[in-house]
Amino acid sequence: PVSSLAVAYGTSLASQGRDIVDRNIDRLVPVGRLKYYFAVDTVYVGRKLGLLVFPFMHQDWQVRYQQDAPVAPRFDVNAPDLYIPVMAFITYVLVAGLALGTQNRFSPDSLGLQASSALAWLIVEVLAILLSLYLVTVNTDLTTIDLIAFSGYKYVGMIVGLVSGLLFGKTGYYVVLGWCCISIFVFMIKTLRLKILSEAAAEGVLVRGAKNQLRMYLTMAIAAVQPLFMYWLTYHLIR
Amino acid sequence: MSNFEQFHSDFYQSSYTIDNQEGYNSYGSNENLCGSRKNPTGERPQAGAFVTSEMLLSSQSYTGQILQPICSPDTLSHLSYTNGFDEEPPLLEELGINFDHIWQKTLTVLNPMKPADGSIMNETDLTGPMVFCLALGATLLLAGKVHFGYVYGMSAIGCLAMHALLNLMSVTGVSHGCVASVLGYCLLPMVILSGSAVVFSLQGILGTLLALFIVGWCSLSASKIFTSALAMEGQQLLIAYPCALLYGLFALLTVF
Repeated sequence: PVSSLAVAYGTSLASQGRDIVDRNIDRLVPVGRLKYYFAVDTVYVGRKLGLLVFPFMHQDWQVRYQQDAPVAPRFDVNAPDLYIPVMAFITYVLVAGLALGTQNRFSPDSLGLQASSALAWLIVEVLAILLSLYLVTVNTDLTTIDLIAFSGYKYVGMIVGLVSGLLFGKTGYYVVLGWCCISIFVFMIKTLRLKILSEAAAEGVLVRGAKNQLRMYLTMAIAAVQPLFMYWLTYHLIR
Repeated sequence: MSNFEQFHSDFYQSSYTIDNQEGYNSYGSNENLCGSRKNPTGERPQAGAFVTSEMLLSSQSYTGQILQPICSPDTLSHLSYTNGFDEEPPLLEELGINFDHIWQKTLTVLNPMKPADGSIMNETDLTGPMVFCLALGATLLLAGKVHFGYVYGMSAIGCLAMHALLNLMSVTGVSHGCVASVLGYCLLPMVILSGSAVVFSLQGILGTLLALFIVGWCSLSASKIFTSALAMEGQQLLIAYPCALLYGLFALLTVF
């Protein structure tokens, strides 16, 4: 009987602990909103990856809305998602480990170093974009998670470049990385244009005014920073 | 104790009938071995009833999937079990190990092309996965690598990460135990890989191809079980990719 009491007490403690964790996790991480970004399926991921390496043929970049809320990524290839950036980041860390391993420079510490430096640069980039958006006082519906998603898309190009560098040597790396840099530049311009610039400018009509020019420069700066990061984070892995 | 065997088999059958609250109370009060042979409900349930009731005891979230009506006093009355040594249930029942279920799940893993039904993962059973982890460590040991710590560490981190991802991607959530159980069962082909590493070295082209094949096999069965258990349509490849990353890490451990 004492043991049964102890068992009951133990299970109640454990469930209490789990309740506390569940309640507090909602305050730190908005799980409901995150679920939207993971509502993807295989077709969407395939199309989005195709867009990331070849964005030149796509015509309509507008995100579809449904009663004032954006449609889930499953149904609209233009919507940002978090599955691809997260998977790409993890794959980048693993491929970096592989690259270091083939050059006999591998150790578990260096893997952790790569992961933390890439994460740090990502955070710096997102904070810089947030700061510049605030300074330019743009009225946009880009959330922080959207920015994380957009900044994470360049890891796909980095992985492709690294893999081709491993398979085909330095020339393969430079060629493929150059192509991925151009395509991510075009992708970012076309996606951010609709979100940052005013509606008239987004449709191609030339709107004069300092404010719009500033927004245009901001968009181009964000897009240009991506290839820089792509080169910075990968060149030391290919020798 | 010649009586013991007879009492033992009798105990199996008599204690696991349904609405048995009165039966348990009479057991608790009865010290007499001969008296315990009295079967209160007078019926002899099949061996299947023992299996299902024992599953009931082992997991609170179980809701009677296997066609036997349950009664909630059952879970309370098992606490009065340990009144004396004579009335304790057999060890396997008490631990909740059910070889039949383990074998069924193993067969599901070994055949990734056959569609699985979603109800097999309703009881979270960690004994099978523990056996497979130990088998992996043992075969690695045979090949000369003492990597038990890495195996446990990677599986723990992998379970946490898959749990987070599956909770975000699926409409219904999953529990840690379910994720750990599925990932552990699908580790079985990896045991085959490390077993073959004992016989011949895996460092050449053949070894790489074999490792890739085994990783694909593991992740396909894991994603098949996850998508059928959580009713996620069109996401099997998306779940297979993180599983492939995790099993790829295990393969790296095995090959290098």
